[in-house]
Formats: sequence, C-alpha cells, structure tokens
Amino acid sequence: MALTLPAPPPRWLEDLSSGPVTTKTKQSFPDPLGYQVASRQQKSSSNKMIAQPRKQPTAEEMDTLKLKKAWELALAPAKQLPMNAIGMYMTGNSLQIFSIMMVFMLFKGPIQAVLNIQNTFQRLETDTNRQQMLAVKAAFVGCNLLALALGIWKVNGMGLLPTTRSDWLAWESAREPLERAYFVPT
Amino acid sequence: MLSTLLTAASLLLVPTLAVFADEAWNVDYHFALLGAPKEETSFFHQPNPSSRASLIYTLSEQHALGAVNPRDGSLVWRQLLSSDGIAYRNSFLRAGEGQDVVISGVGHEVAAWSAADGRLVWSLSTEGPLEDVEILELSDGKETAGAKDAIALSSGANPTVQRIDGASGAVKWQFIIDGSDAPYQLSASSTQIFAILIHKTILGYVKLRVVVLDRVTGHKVDEYSLSSENELSTTENIVSVGANSASPMIAWTDSLYTTLKVNVVGMKSMQSFDIASHDDSPIEHVKVHAPYHVNSLSHFLVHYQTATSHWADVFHINLKNGKVEKAYSLPKLAGRGAFSTSTSDANVYFTRVTRDEITTVSSASHGVLGRWPLNTFGVVAGIGEQVEPIHAASEVSVKGDTVSAIRTTILLSTGDWVMLRDGKGIWNRPEMLASTMVVTFALPADAAALVQQLEVEAHSNPVAAYAHRVQRHLADLQRLPSIIVSLPQQIVKGFLGTSADDLTASDTFGFRQVIVCATREGRLVALDAGSPDKIVWNVNVADLQPGQSWEPYLASRIAGVVEVSSRAGAGIQYNATNGQPLAERLPVVPEGPQVPSSQVVLYTVHDGTLEASYNRTPAWAFTPMHGERLIDMVPRPVNDPVASIGKVLGDRRVLYKYLDSNIALLVTAQDSMGTANIYVLSTVSGAIIYSNVHTGVDLTIPIASIMSENWFAYSFTNEASDEASKGHQLVVGELFESLVPDDRGMMGATTNFSGMQTATEPFVLTQTYQIPEVISKLAVTRTRQGITSRQLLAVLPDSNGIVGIPYGAVDPRRPVNRDPTKDEQAEGLVRYTAVLEFDPKWFLNHQREIVGVKNVFTSPALIESTSLVFAYGLDIFGTRLSPSFSFDILGKDFNKLQMLATVAALAVATFIVAPLVMRKQVDQRWRFL
Repeated sequence: MALTLPAPPPRWLEDLSSGPVTTKTKQSFPDPLGYQVASRQQKSSSNKMIAQPRKQPTAEEMDTLKLKKAWELALAPAKQLPMNAIGMYMTGNSLQIFSIMMVFMLFKGPIQAVLNIQNTFQRLETDTNRQQMLAVKAAFVGCNLLALALGIWKVNGMGLLPTTRSDWLAWESAREPLERAYFVPT
Repeated sequence: MLSTLLTAASLLLVPTLAVFADEAWNVDYHFALLGAPKEETSFFHQPNPSSRASLIYTLSEQHALGAVNPRDGSLVWRQLLSSDGIAYRNSFLRAGEGQDVVISGVGHEVAAWSAADGRLVWSLSTEGPLEDVEILELSDGKETAGAKDAIALSSGANPTVQRIDGASGAVKWQFIIDGSDAPYQLSASSTQIFAILIHKTILGYVKLRVVVLDRVTGHKVDEYSLSSENELSTTENIVSVGANSASPMIAWTDSLYTTLKVNVVGMKSMQSFDIASHDDSPIEHVKVHAPYHVNSLSHFLVHYQTATSHWADVFHINLKNGKVEKAYSLPKLAGRGAFSTSTSDANVYFTRVTRDEITTVSSASHGVLGRWPLNTFGVVAGIGEQVEPIHAASEVSVKGDTVSAIRTTILLSTGDWVMLRDGKGIWNRPEMLASTMVVTFALPADAAALVQQLEVEAHSNPVAAYAHRVQRHLADLQRLPSIIVSLPQQIVKGFLGTSADDLTASDTFGFRQVIVCATREGRLVALDAGSPDKIVWNVNVADLQPGQSWEPYLASRIAGVVEVSSRAGAGIQYNATNGQPLAERLPVVPEGPQVPSSQVVLYTVHDGTLEASYNRTPAWAFTPMHGERLIDMVPRPVNDPVASIGKVLGDRRVLYKYLDSNIALLVTAQDSMGTANIYVLSTVSGAIIYSNVHTGVDLTIPIASIMSENWFAYSFTNEASDEASKGHQLVVGELFESLVPDDRGMMGATTNFSGMQTATEPFVLTQTYQIPEVISKLAVTRTRQGITSRQLLAVLPDSNGIVGIPYGAVDPRRPVNRDPTKDEQAEGLVRYTAVLEFDPKWFLNHQREIVGVKNVFTSPALIESTSLVFAYGLDIFGTRLSPSFSFDILGKDFNKLQMLATVAALAVATFIVAPLVMRKQVDQRWRFL
C-alpha cells in the first residue's frame, strides 16, 4: 500500500491551465472587434493531444480508407432509392403542388450531384487511387441515374412525358379539302 | 351566442349562392313581344268592371293575344293563338262593356279569356273559318246573368251564324245561310242580328245581301239586297260595317274614292256623299272610325288618307229617321294621320295623331278639347326617315269641357308600339322584332379594327408581329390623355362593378356585338348585344307595298359591315355601327376562308332537289326518292373552327375526327310510309356518306337537325305503335376517320385531299336518347377557336324554353350496358341511359317564358370561352354562354374589393414590419454565438 494519491496540483497550475473564467451571462457589452477567445481552443487542442496520442496512418492505409469512404459516398444515392420510391408511390399521380415539388426535388438532387461530382470526391482523390476512383465515380453516376430513372418513371406515371399520340396531336393538322362547297340560298 | 354565429355564417354563405342568380338577369335579355297590333283588335278595356284601371288588349298580326299594362308597357298575360305559324286572314278580339272576359276568334276557334289573367274560360270550334265574331251588347234576358252572349259567323260549305252562351260557350242556336254568297260580317241591333254577305253578280260586281235574324230564336226574319249597282267591284271598297254601335251602318266607296255611300243597317235606303279632293295625290284609303258602344252617340268619323296628307269628316246619324248628316270636317294636315275613338258615357271623342301633335275633338262639335304637341315619338328611325303613326287607340278622361288626360298607344311606321300620355312618351315596345326573319351578328366598327390588327399579328412571323404590336401600342399612346382624364371615373366604376353598363368603354371581349334583324316588314333593326334594352338603329331597306314580301339574306363577311340581300341577289352593305348604307355592291359568291385552290362547288335547293354546280356546269344532284320530300338541309357551317382534330381517350390515345368542311345533313320524309330518312352528304361529290331510316315517325311534328364539327344531331317524334308508345327522340351521331385509336384511316397523314377523287367513308357512332318533349329547332354554341366544348341548344316550344344540353351528356361514345372503365371515366363518359332528362340547370331561360321561338343564332365572342346566343321568332331572347365555364375572364363573383383590400393590407403590413425586421437584422449582426 505504498501507493498514495498524488498531491493535487498547485493552484497556480490550475489557474494557468483553466484561464480566466468568463461568464457569458454577465457580459452585457460585446467583445471588441478582432478579439478571439484563443485560450479555450488552445486548451481543447492540448486536451485532445493528451487524450488521443495516435500514430499517423501510412499512405496505403490512407488510400484504402479514402476509397472506402468514396464507395460509401458513391452508393449513398442508391440507399435512398427505396425510400424515394415509396415516397413517390405514396404521393400519387395527380398533379398537385406537393407531388410536383417532390418530383422537382427528385430531379434536382441527382442532376446537382452529378454536376458536383468532382467537388464531392476531390477530398478523397489522391494520385495513387485515381484509377479506382473512376469506378467509384461511375458507380456514383449510375446510382444518380437510377434516381433520375425513378423520377422519369414518376413523371411518366403523372402523364407528363410526351410518349403518346395525343401529346403530338396539336402538331398534326386537319386535311385540307382541295374543293370547297358553298350553299347558296335561293 | 349561437345565433350570432349562425348569422355570421349565413352572411358568408349568401354571396357564394348568389352567383347564378346574379348572372341570370344580367347576362341575358328578353323581349316578351306580341307582334304588330292590329287596329281593330287593339283597345283599352277594364279587366275588372268594378275598377277604373284598364289594360290594353291586343290581338296581333302574329295571332298573339295579350294584355299590356299601360303604365309601363309590361306584358300582363299572353296567349299564342296560332302556334304553328299559320297566318289566318281574319282574327277578331271583342270585349263586352263591363265584362271580365275578352272573346277572340282566330281560324276555326272562338275562345273566351279571362281579362285579368288570360285564363281560358271556354272555347268553341266552328265548322268553317270564322268571318266575324261579335258580342251582343244589349241584353234580351236570355243570357246567363253577368255574361254577354257572343255571335259568330263562319264561312265554309255551310255558312253559319251561331249564338254562343257567354258563360259556358255552348251554342244556343245556329242558322245556316243558304246560297253561295260569301259571308262577310255581322252586325246587331237591340232586336235583330244582321248577317252581311257578299253576292257576286254575273258582271263581276259585288252586291251586299243582308240576312236579318231574330236574336232570341235565330230564325230568319227578313232578307234584302242593297242595290250598290256597279259601284262595288271588290270587297276592298267596303269601308266599314259597323257593329254594336247605336245604329250600325255600312259604308263603301267606288274604286276611285269619289263618293262615299252610307247605309244604316236595317234601312234599305242609302245616302251618298261626295269626297272632296284636297290634294293632287289620289286618296289611298278611306277608314271609318265609329264608337263601339251601343249607348254612345251615333256619330262616326271618316278618315281620308293620301300619300302626302290626310283629313277627316264627322257624320251624325239621326236615330229616328236613319238620316246621315255631315257635321263638320277636320282640316287637312300633312303626312299620315291616325284616328282613334273613345267614349265617355254617351259622348264620343275622336283623337287625331299626326306627326307633330295629338288633338282631341268631341264628336258633337269641331272645337279642340285638348292639344298636345309632339316633338318626337322617341323611337329610332333611319336617317331622314319620317316616323308616321299607323294607327292608334286612346283613352281620354274628360273633366268638364276639356280633356284632362289622354293615353294613346300608337303603332308607328318604324314598327314600334309606343304609349304617349298627354303627348309624352311613356314606353315603347319594339314589336317589329316579333317578325324577325333572319339575323346576323356583326362586330361594331371599332372592335372590328382591333380584330383586324390582332389577326395581322397572328399571321406574321414573331419579329414582325412584335414590331407591329409595338407600333400599335405607340399609336394607342395618342389616346393616353383622354384615357387619363377618364381614369378616375373608370376606377370608380370598376369598384362599383358597373363597367359593363358603360357604352363608351371599348369592348375587348366582343360581347357588344351588333345584332342585325331583318323583319318581315322590310326593315333592318339593330340591337347591341351588350346593352340590348335599346335599339341602335332601324332602317327601312325594302320598300314593301302591302301584300309584298321579301326573303332577306343577311351576312357580315367583313367585320363592321352588314350586307343584306334578298333572294341571292347582289346585296347592299350597311355600316354595322350606325346603319348607314355603304356604296359598294358585292358579288354573291360567299367568300370563305382561304382554300388552296379556288375550286368551288355551289349547291342549292331547287324544287325539292339539291343541285350542285362546279365551274358553272352541273356537278351532281340529290333527288329524294319518289314520294319523299326534303324537310331540312343543314350544311356544316362555313366558318366552323375546330381546335383539335382528334378526341383524346382516357389512355391518351387519339380517336381521329372525320373533319370535312364539305358535308351536309339532309332530312327527308316519306309521308305515305311515315318514315324519316337522314343522309349525310359530301357536298363536293354528292356521295352519301351516312344514311339512316326511322319508321313510324309523326311527320306533323317538326324534325329539328343540326350539323357541326364532326357530329350531327336530330330529333323526331315516334308515332305510337304496337311495340312502342309515342315519344320524342334525340339522335346524336359522331363521325370518325377510324374507330381504331391512333389511326387516321385510309388516307393516313396526307395533308390534302380531293373530295371528288377520293371517296372516304367515315365511321359513324350514333346514339338515341328519349327526350321528354318536342324540340322544334336545334342550334349549337360557337366559339372563336373551337377549343371550348359545345352545347346543343334545343328550342322547346311546349315549355316555352331553350335548353342548352352539354355535348358530353349526349356523347354517342357513352358506354352501353356497362359501367365506364377508368379511362372512360377520365374522359368524362358516363353510362348510357336511354332517357335524357333535361336538367333544370340546362334551361337558359330560367324563369323567363320564351314564346314562339323559330330559330336560334349563335356567334363567337372575341374571347374563347364565350358564345353569344340570340333566339328570335315572336320573342327575342339573348344570352352569353360559357360551355366550359368562363376560364379566360373573371366572373362577377370575383371580389375586386377583397383583392384590393388584401393588397392594401399587405402593403400596410410591409411598411409596418419593415423597420422591425431591419432592426432585428442589425441586432443579429452584433450578436455572435
């Protein structure tokens, strides 16, 4: 039982590490421009450093991690598909502001995602995993296309796709008779 | 608490319920007309013997019997005595003094009507056509108490005099007059009845034969002939046969109007008076005006009319010796004159109406008792046309030696029937519209200009159209100052919702079209569909002499111009806004819309066959089979725009319509078999593309038919037979290029075709509906581009109404014997039911009674949703219809005030909230974390 509790740190040490206590509630005036409450960040970073001493992963490990993360990102739209499909099914085929809005979102999401594909994967792309990234991107585009297809299916269900004869009826014209007959009242 | 809530709730409910009632009396208009009143059958009479208030009774030339309130000209009651449009030569209307019935005689029917409400009291059919009906004024104790008996004279195989009980309508006695003389008129004295007959001598002259009958028994008492020698050549020179006056008399002139001969009925002698000619122009006619009361003075007035002037003589009859003396003369005055007789106790007053004054004289002396100058009759007439009185009826009230008040109804040469009280116009009834024969709509000239501009923009390329529009708007800017001046007024009017009443406002919707009616009297009368209460213009276009008729044909091919022609002759054009004739004359050939080639086939109905010519050579003829007669021929309208060439099915496939501009529907009847044949003809080739036969058809009832777009409809009445009872049917047929969806039939997608070289037959779907009553005429709504769905307008003569049947209700594609599938439901098709009940909501006339409608004319407004409807015949009725509801215009139910209040409230809220939000945003800026 030689172990004894270490003596509590001296007060000056406590004061040094905790800094001055600033209570927000008491503060009735704003901080001056440019003033940063630096001490807290310092403290938290120092705490983290102390709490999680970890060695840096290697480049290969990093690549695998990034690829894993990228696949996760790429397949995320596909995971949303069933829920979207149920939502679309539930809203019905009538043209209402709600279903129109949902369909609009359904189209907007994938198109925007495909357009921002470089941004999305920029963080995870390295010189070494570029080849693998292509497949990931293709999968991402494919999943988004699936979502688009769902939207098109929905729009078709709503009757908004010009797929039938009646949609082009306005461009068809009546046959012109070459002769014209007029009734002459006697 | 609850009651206040309920009141609040009801306040909210009322405006929404009032939408239809609101439209009902605003959008539509109706003239309940009688037709031109006849002089002998128009009079003032007290419907209730105990009251002094009188009504004006008239039996018009259209055989409409009615009572008019003299105060405001409104119709109290009306009976149409000849519904089938037969014009009888004679019609009589008599009212006994102090009687509460009026007795009419039209055709073969004597009828008594309650004077107050027009209910039938009794009616009696005579064997031959009626020649005269009189009331026995003096009681002989044989009548039922309170009702005076009537006597009727009928011609035919057995000319008969009948005495009819005034209360029951039973015949008390009848006397058959022997001989071949034509009965002419009746006259009665206190003991005897005189039947006056026309005896034609071998030399061709006319002699008057008088048969005297006993009043009580009806036995012949005496008979004599008046030796009129060779003066009377026709009955037209018999001026008057008095009846029911204190001493009835017969007056006639020679054919040159040089002498007037008078015979007091019952005396065999006669007296002759020379007719002094005041004028170079010959006398056109002579009329006798005598009081129609037995206890009034036996004075009468003879009215002489020449082409340019008129005058009158007043005669007295000495009751003791039957001597006739000329008492005084009324001076010659220019223009036409109308005289009317009124009585007050025994005194007789003659009222003279001329162009510019009304004067009243007593029959005893020539002193003028009352004189009222007339500035104007208050009617619209052609420019430079002199409005003349045709005939008049007056009611005078006499106080002492002067006439204190006078009410005069006058039929004017313009056809208006006006009421003047003391020389001031009280009301005017446009009775000339009751004889409307044809009608057309025309845009007023200012609207026509806008339409032209819009068409230019529609048919040019977008850039040019835009430039044109900018130019047009720049031109419109010139009107800006005047618009700004009138702006406050317009805003106020917009708030109050009275903008529709504003005549000067420009008509962007095309509701204010000019309706031009051609009347049987040869006049053109124009109404404004936007404000139909007043006549816009009224001109005499065909100077018809008595006995002449015309067959006008109206068209408005150029906007703003109306063209009238009679019998396919060259027409005269009139400005639609003011009725001024335009100088140009037009070719006859109708100018249709632009066709690729000018190959025109003209066809016409000639002697019951349809004959067509092509390049001035006969092309084809359609002759009905032996024993068949052509009842009706309805071509598809020349200008019949169709927006969609196919019908979109529920599954979004297309059923293509058979759209051929050159088709016509023919209805023929075979009277011996009782069959009606229906043909749809191609009018270019004459080929029958559809035909149908209906057997057991009652051909005495009209068969109405209509053709429009790719469908036709007709209605007929089934004769009762062993297997079917009598019933009315409406058949609707629709023509398709193919019954297979998405298929354009034999010709495929070819863009043009020649009806002469290619024979195509449509596939026709028909459906028959049992309808509750006869349809006398069918029409269809027309809109500008044909996008709006159609309504079938059916005139119902038995319920005095017009019903607008939505096409969907009679669609031949309604599924039979099964419920509609989901796709059919999407199309709006419901299961077929054989009986088509007329929904009360379909009646366009709602509470109004539209009597005697012969035809319905429809015209598109400038906005697509609306069609203008105008029904004419006896009554005039017009309305605006939106078969697909008013999708392109705000209705009256739109609350402008509410909208503006909302906008204002939002504006105020914005102003109040804006600083608050601003402050909050600034605060936010200053607050971190």
